[in-house]
Amino acid sequence: MKNWKIHGIALILVIIAELIGIIKFKVGPGTIVLLPMLYALIFGILLSPKFLKVVNMKDMTDANSLITVTLLLLMARYGTLIGPSLPKIIQSGPALILQELGNLGTLLLGIPIAVLLGLKREAIGAAHSVAREPNVALIGDVYGLDSAEGQGVMGVYICGTVFGTIFFGLLASFAAAYLPFHPYALAMAAGVGSASMMTAAVGSLSAMYPDMANMLQAYGAASNMLSGLDGLYMSLWIALPASEWLYKKMHMIKYGQAPQKEVE
Amino acid sequence: MKPKDIFFVMVLVGILSLVANLVGYKNGIMESIPGMVILIGISMLGVLIRQVIPIKIPSVAYIVLIGTLITYPGFPGSAVISGYISKVNFLALTTPILAYAGIAIGKDLDALKKTGWKIVLVACIVFIGTYIGSAVIAQSILKFMGLI
Repeated sequence: MKNWKIHGIALILVIIAELIGIIKFKVGPGTIVLLPMLYALIFGILLSPKFLKVVNMKDMTDANSLITVTLLLLMARYGTLIGPSLPKIIQSGPALILQELGNLGTLLLGIPIAVLLGLKREAIGAAHSVAREPNVALIGDVYGLDSAEGQGVMGVYICGTVFGTIFFGLLASFAAAYLPFHPYALAMAAGVGSASMMTAAVGSLSAMYPDMANMLQAYGAASNMLSGLDGLYMSLWIALPASEWLYKKMHMIKYGQAPQKEVE
Repeated sequence: MKPKDIFFVMVLVGILSLVANLVGYKNGIMESIPGMVILIGISMLGVLIRQVIPIKIPSVAYIVLIGTLITYPGFPGSAVISGYISKVNFLALTTPILAYAGIAIGKDLDALKKTGWKIVLVACIVFIGTYIGSAVIAQSILKFMGLI
């Protein structure tokens, strides 16, 4: 916590990232947005022992222990974005609540592709959800983290940690630029249950549509709160059983037989 | 972490955010301080409530709730509070968080390397699936309700 080296580095990263500022560039018919938070993240990664060797293992562990606290101010800001827009958010309640079911898109798309790629039961852990902390805990509870399912969920968890923020920032930007969605729908969809992924997606959208920025941020924050509330139960009661079922079906299609009981 | 330590880190992050707010969004430090103090106040209150109430609800839930409550139209002084806080650009708060996250991620790079390309590909599909899935539903319902 009193590791002044990482605070100093963070300050320098913030200044450099903000000096570069928001970059917008046209690709084909749409505009892609890059945000300072993405540069801060990438420059931070470049300081690691793998690249520039500016920070060591202790610095990285210290920084890691601070992340949950660094998020709190942003959470307070989200609250203050929801407050003034609350009447409008409640008006859009049905859309906000039902879009939560869209989180099942992970397994509808993920399981078939995972099985076609040749993954076995790793597929269930990997594709049943976006694999944030509550989902890792759930899979650990149901199958154990040493199991194939556990390896799957940990793999996606690590991917989400390392490049999830960048991915969602760009994904939202691409979707807004090239797909026929209203920014409100894309903001609601951003609440996948991870504050940083949601922030990256909503950040891109609000840079693209400054006039709607407050409403977009409020929808994103509200949807992310909902995902936090219902995510675990949806995984346990809907996503996991559905993943098991779809996994068996896909296994039949690919290998022509039901999956054998694992004998490891 | 103890509330005292949380407060210390929060003030540091607050300072970094004020710098980001100045450099990136041209909001002066002095004019942004009241809003930042309110944000730190909301967050600390959430942390303290979490300490006092024994039910296992994370402090972020209290923090978002308090933030929502005091800016809800009709809450005494909500317009004034919103006015101060609007000086703190939302994006300025995100840059310091991702700076710390970037420094921390270095230690997960080895784990990512071991993960294998198939899982990495599945992860990308999973991210796209949840995002587009939710967007399709939200779009249809908003359209159906005539809100967009």
